[in-house]
Amino acid sequence: MKSKISALMDGELDEHEATEPLAALGRDREAFEAWRRYHLISDALQDAQALSPDFTPRFAARLAQEPTLLAPPRLAVRGDSARWIGLSAVASVAAVAMVAWLAFSTPPGAAPDAVAVASQESAASHEMTRVPPPQTANDYLLAHQGYSPRLSLQGVAPYVRTVSDPQVERRAR
Amino acid sequence: MRTLIGALLLACAAVAQADTTPDALDWLRKIYQGTDKLSYSGTFVYQQGESTETSRITRLIDANGEVEKLETLDGTPREIVRTRDAVRCYLPESKTVKVDRSGGRRGFPALLPEQLSKVAQNYKITLGEVKRIADYECQAVILMPKDDLRYGYKLWADTKSGMLLKARTFDEKGRMVEQFTFTMLAIGSVPRETLKPRYSAQDWRIEDTAVAPINLAELGWSVNGGLPGFQKVDEVKRQLGDAKPVGQIVFSDGLAAVSVFIEAREGRTEPVRTGLSSMGAIHIYTREVANHVVTVVGEAPAASVRRIADAVEYRPR
Repeated sequence: MKSKISALMDGELDEHEATEPLAALGRDREAFEAWRRYHLISDALQDAQALSPDFTPRFAARLAQEPTLLAPPRLAVRGDSARWIGLSAVASVAAVAMVAWLAFSTPPGAAPDAVAVASQESAASHEMTRVPPPQTANDYLLAHQGYSPRLSLQGVAPYVRTVSDPQVERRAR
Repeated sequence: MRTLIGALLLACAAVAQADTTPDALDWLRKIYQGTDKLSYSGTFVYQQGESTETSRITRLIDANGEVEKLETLDGTPREIVRTRDAVRCYLPESKTVKVDRSGGRRGFPALLPEQLSKVAQNYKITLGEVKRIADYECQAVILMPKDDLRYGYKLWADTKSGMLLKARTFDEKGRMVEQFTFTMLAIGSVPRETLKPRYSAQDWRIEDTAVAPINLAELGWSVNGGLPGFQKVDEVKRQLGDAKPVGQIVFSDGLAAVSVFIEAREGRTEPVRTGLSSMGAIHIYTREVANHVVTVVGEAPAASVRRIADAVEYRPR
């Protein structure tokens, strides 16, 4: 199950394959812990700010106390600040849910790396046609890296890019 | 949530965006010197987009010169061994050794002052926080690009030795493009045997890219206007794989490099697909000019790589 959860996190599962691990997250404590731990690792790698350890139960309790609002209240002149924090937290959960929904609704045919790359790019590069890397991409990279000033800052490490994608290597033959 | 944190970080970065400070420049110098003079062995994680890859890196510098080895720890072990005069890339899947000899002309550390001033021209260098990475107390150094033609960098270096523990590339919105992080590191001499490649590679194919100087302008090629801050650093002719000779012009702004490859279309089996492909901070833009294929490869934003590709012109003399 852990490998399925890891694959789920990496966006490697299609809608059908994701059903089982998603269901497991809801009922299996161990699966949920794995999910939480993988995200912690990912956050640590990306240097994201960690939430306080008891954030989830505190947030759930707070959310349960929130009244169900059918119409927005009139904005008080001196608003109750605690309620606004609560509401903004609800808004961020909605945003997270939205992101999760978007992530899962990726069409199965779409290449995951293409999606990831596209989201990194600025609007300007969206206008550029995306093409697969040339068959000789690794040769170009190797020829190019030798000139990178990063080498005198970082040693041989940037060369990992030259060998990091075996798919390109396979396509080359 | 991440977007929010990203926005906050960016706001902090904007506030802190003073001009280059002398102590930050000193720190950058210390990192260059650390990279040049230290021996070490460690494990680092390379991260781009959603993918991560772990590698081992070993470096030895002594009276016999310097050797560095990089081994990927995920998937099939692929290795790169770099010495003063060549880089050898061992690819067990295709039983191939690719050799590149162009890096031999580095001339470091004599070029350091020149390199530092070039970096300072294009980036604002400031100090960031001090924090612990892989058990080393590290000073952060931020290189904020002065325009949107290049990426920004954040470097974390050991406060004692200047060894680089972590390096992040970020785009104009402050989003991470790629990152190198040591998870384990031991600074100090390593046995020379550990730097030998694990493959004897006796019956492997050897692709040695013979490099020779060339004057592409004389042949009618020019990169008109180029990219502000990027200067031409070299121009060579080389053999890539089984292909015909390829011309290569390299531009650099002191931290990032962009290569323009020019080769004849004739005899090429792969169709030319005009457009962009990306791997982490590296973008490749391909287009056709006068029956030649122009491929621009660089660790710069996609728009910059394309701008250089679009500036390539052919006017026969």
